[in-house]
Amino acid sequence: MFKGAFSIWGRDMRVMRRSIVSELVSVIAYPLTLYLAFGFGLKGYITDVNGVPYPLFIAPGLISMTAVNAAFDESSWSMWFHRKVQRTIEEYRVTPVTVYDIVIGKIFSGFSQGAVKGTVVFLVILALTPFRIDYTHLPVYLLCIALSSMTFSCLGTICGTVIDKPENIGRVQSVVIVPLIFMAGIFFPLSSYPSSILPLIQLLPTTAVFEGARDALLTGAIPSQYLVNLLLTAAACFTIAVYTFNRKMAE
Amino acid sequence: MNFAITLHDITKSYDGFTAVDAFSLQVQRGTVFGLLGPNGAGKTTLIKILTTLMRPTLGDAFVEGHSVLTAGKEVRRVIGVVPQENNLDRYLTARENLALHARLHGMRPAAYNPRIDQLLEMTGLAGRQHDFPDTFSGGMQRRLVVARALVHEPRVLFLDEPTTGLDPQSRRSLWDHIRGLRRTMTVFLTTHYMDEADALCDRIMIMDHGTCLADGTAAQLKDAFSRAHTYQVEFRNDADRYQEVLAGLPFVKGVERDGSLFQITLADEESIKPLMDHLSGSDIRRICLKEPTLEDVFISLTGEKVRE
Repeated sequence: MFKGAFSIWGRDMRVMRRSIVSELVSVIAYPLTLYLAFGFGLKGYITDVNGVPYPLFIAPGLISMTAVNAAFDESSWSMWFHRKVQRTIEEYRVTPVTVYDIVIGKIFSGFSQGAVKGTVVFLVILALTPFRIDYTHLPVYLLCIALSSMTFSCLGTICGTVIDKPENIGRVQSVVIVPLIFMAGIFFPLSSYPSSILPLIQLLPTTAVFEGARDALLTGAIPSQYLVNLLLTAAACFTIAVYTFNRKMAE
Repeated sequence: MNFAITLHDITKSYDGFTAVDAFSLQVQRGTVFGLLGPNGAGKTTLIKILTTLMRPTLGDAFVEGHSVLTAGKEVRRVIGVVPQENNLDRYLTARENLALHARLHGMRPAAYNPRIDQLLEMTGLAGRQHDFPDTFSGGMQRRLVVARALVHEPRVLFLDEPTTGLDPQSRRSLWDHIRGLRRTMTVFLTTHYMDEADALCDRIMIMDHGTCLADGTAAQLKDAFSRAHTYQVEFRNDADRYQEVLAGLPFVKGVERDGSLFQITLADEESIKPLMDHLSGSDIRRICLKEPTLEDVFISLTGEKVRE
């Protein structure tokens, strides 16, 4: 079962291995710049947030952001490229694999890309900065990253499946994904929001991603409302991604 | 059952347009079957239905006994597909493209590696197996797509316009490969090229507007549609006068002129004698019967108008 998905995932990992060095340079540059700019640039103005030093406050979010961005990018662009440009999806579809194999293989590729790139950014921040964590918190944090990457990989797959013009994928990223990420309190505490809109912000999946990741890394536990949010969002996105791809292929 | 492919009243409509209309067909196992038709005739739609990429609106089709509606996975297990476009993975080498295809068919490395070696040798790509397809010529890419479709040793091979865009040498080379497959598997080929169908196919079907217009071997089709009896006559003298004479003869159905060369279409075989009675032997430089080509058959059935 899912041998086809495993073959497609294996193909994507082989391609990723070939270009990993050049890709990682660009993947690391962005969060590291943000970390240095905000973490050190604002350190003199913001010493700590709720008792957490500011560089430590933003680091979990930046690592998570790298992971979910990578998961979304890989899934959306890869699906679009294989469907519209290279037409390899059509080649997969004339073999005995099912559409479920294809979509699950692609979702796991996005998830793997997110996990690898997030880990690398984590290691780089660890190596280059005074950022330190309690390593017993790592399994919970990785669970949070895994659920988040799965959600964003599914969202990317949905975009890559339904969007035909590449510029529209870029628009979804800048109009939906980036605002959702930045609204979720990577750089500031959620308590900064007016109390009237705070409950709405707390319901955002991205809030569960970034607040959950921060709590996981700093305290070793994901607050239950965020864990439920992450689980439900990942399950819903996965179902929608599989359904959407199946429908698209039946057209 | 000796049929590799069977179609029962296949209809495909979308948005009020009928691409294939109650199409039925049986293709003998081990033969090369050619489907000819102008753009938009419904050829690619039929291939998409037979390869399970598209579901028919009505009817059912069977490939090696498996229904495209209810046993798609079994159909895909026994078919190889060469699509119109080279949908190779440009981020994988030639060999990796074939290996991925083998894995998608559930083959193990011990089974697929020797097969890939054999196919790369057969298609003349063994020396380039570790190169990426982007660095290949169009002909080499096409050969790689054919090799990929053969990795899992399919029983039915679908080739959708396999030589479109290739130079004459590459076309001939690909023809040789397709000829080599004859009898080892059933080949279902669509093409625009009449010479290709003539050279490769055991049986040819001409379709247009989603329906079959003619069906038979190349020779049968030429015979059936050569009732017009066309002669080429080149005059030494008085070409203008003969044009008027020919226009007045009741058994002459058509005259096309290019300088002193006339193409004369007669009503029947017996009309050649009265025609010769009206022509002076000393004015004729050359006269010959024009053998019909498959292209003549195609044009006579589908018309000369260019399709959008």
